[in-house]
Amino acid sequence: MSIELKNEYGQIDISNDVIAQIAGGAAIECYGIVGMATKHQIRDGLTDILRKENFAKGVLVRQEDENLVIDMYVIISYGTKISEVAYQVQSKVKYTITKTLGMSVKAVNIFVQGVRVTNP
Amino acid sequence: MKSLNGVKFAEMVQMGSHHLFQNADYVDALNVFPVPDGDTGTNMNLSMTSGAKETTAQAEVHIGKTAGALSKGLLMGARGNSGVILSQLFRGFGKYIASESELTALKFAEALQHGVETAYKAVMKPVEGTILTVAKDAAAKGMEAAKTEEDLIVWFEAVVTEAKASLERTPDLLPVLKEVGVVDSGGQGLVYVYEGFLASLKGEELPEKHAHHSMNDLVSAEHHKNIAGFMDTADIEFGYCTEFMVKFETGKKEFNEALFRSDLSSYGDSLLVIADEEVAKIHIHSEEPGKVLTYGQDYGSLISMKIENMRQQHIDIVGEGFQKNAPKQQATHPYAVVTVAMGEGISELLRSIGASYVIEGGQTMNPSTEDIVNAVKSIGAERVLILPNNKNIIMAAEQAAELLAIEAAVVPTKDVPQGMAALLAFNPEATVETNQLAMASASKHVKSGSVTFAVRDTSIDGIAIKKDDFMGISEGKIIVSDSNLERVTEELAKKLVDNEAEIVTILYGEDATAADAQKLGEFIESLNSAVEVEIHNGKQPLYPFILAVE
Repeated sequence: MSIELKNEYGQIDISNDVIAQIAGGAAIECYGIVGMATKHQIRDGLTDILRKENFAKGVLVRQEDENLVIDMYVIISYGTKISEVAYQVQSKVKYTITKTLGMSVKAVNIFVQGVRVTNP
Repeated sequence: MKSLNGVKFAEMVQMGSHHLFQNADYVDALNVFPVPDGDTGTNMNLSMTSGAKETTAQAEVHIGKTAGALSKGLLMGARGNSGVILSQLFRGFGKYIASESELTALKFAEALQHGVETAYKAVMKPVEGTILTVAKDAAAKGMEAAKTEEDLIVWFEAVVTEAKASLERTPDLLPVLKEVGVVDSGGQGLVYVYEGFLASLKGEELPEKHAHHSMNDLVSAEHHKNIAGFMDTADIEFGYCTEFMVKFETGKKEFNEALFRSDLSSYGDSLLVIADEEVAKIHIHSEEPGKVLTYGQDYGSLISMKIENMRQQHIDIVGEGFQKNAPKQQATHPYAVVTVAMGEGISELLRSIGASYVIEGGQTMNPSTEDIVNAVKSIGAERVLILPNNKNIIMAAEQAAELLAIEAAVVPTKDVPQGMAALLAFNPEATVETNQLAMASASKHVKSGSVTFAVRDTSIDGIAIKKDDFMGISEGKIIVSDSNLERVTEELAKKLVDNEAEIVTILYGEDATAADAQKLGEFIESLNSAVEVEIHNGKQPLYPFILAVE
């Protein structure tokens, strides 16, 4: 699957993996995020934190009408305010996608798959 | 002062919080990173206020307990990135001194250092040039100064001086700050908190408002936010960036900043007003710059005016060549793939993966040879591959390929899933023959199934079927039949999804809902947790579900 943009010179196809990479990259820059998780917790194990090349596993992108809907599976640092960190991720991802792809984002859904305790 | 107790620390926190509150607007104005939404000051202020409230409520002489209260209050009230980071800084700080009743400069320094370490641990990729950097540099300076300095006030002065210097360096670390010409907003917020701490240690009062901030900083931050906010020139509501200064004169209207501000805010947005006794500097984005200037003249004479058309600038920056939703036109496709499908959703899906033209039809309304020929001609194809997606259309497609005066070949796909797999294997660089082979072989890799309903009582493949019952069909064979749609679909899925399956695509039709499809998807994942399930609304008639398994 990919997202299509058309202009006078032709069309631009952006694959979902690319969008997942961008969204994942934006998310891990967010304060309080210690990893991207996989959506298949059972199969891949709870504490499996994805490397950059596997972000697509923890980021689901779909298109509804002309808008993107993004589901993200994340691991958050223990001791932070989870609701607030998740909100920051939503806002950062939406902003980054809009800025880099010029597409409107209808929703960014965050699934917190775990908290990671770093020795305080 | 050689040591600090909890009561004094609570006062410091109060003062830090108050000083941040006083300057929250300015911090908001600086906010360009990570998202230029201008709320850093507001968020930090709310977080810090919550921290200060808890600290005051539970202040004890024992500083460990007081710091614990601050940490708890910050965590509860954390808002925004900067607020979360602030709460982490003081969480580490509080944990480190939990059992201390008083702090020396050295202990304080170590606690700050520990706070920084805690804050850095909570992020995968710490971005330097932010509040984190300012906290880190200040703490490092604190550790160094505490080796030789025992007096808390002198020691903390060194910390604050370094925090400010570090703040000034943030644009060198974070390109976006340099671009816009501002320092980091979160870092600035932390500096205000530390300045408040210091003033409290010294027993001084801080000026209510920070002296003149450079208007230029504010304006450039404001503009950056604006540009980021507009994808489209047409979105610009207030088109003229208007900057001017009013020199107050006697005999004119008495200047009242709050009133002046609220009056002007009705003319536009991005309003900035900075005033002293003699002059007011104004920046506003307005659709009616004339009115704004006239209003300003009520207070005195205008000096140094600048008005710019932002729409023009935006066009120059963004260019108008890129349109997100260019109208769908029947373009020419010299090298085309023409296919057949029922249902708007499936057509759309096929187009999205490379079909040049989708002929509406299939099953009960098969397109004729002529329909296919016309479709190919209508898109000006010079070379074409035809995917019938139905075994009853393969013949017509073959005939069409012969009739056409251009290079044409048929890939004998029997259903939509096969057609999709074939389409994905299309290589516009390869010859028609090569594509025909590659696409045919790709189409065989997919297992497909569909669910439809019986039009009469019959018995096929040893299965008795009643009219209106649902049937699950795979590879032309009826697998299961039952009056319950869900049961049929699940039986079919069991048949198709084995351990080899990697991707299952569900196309749900007019007679099924998104919720049904979702449920089916979950069922499939329960069969084999390794599969990726993709769900699309195919909107096809007659077939509630079509499944493709790769």
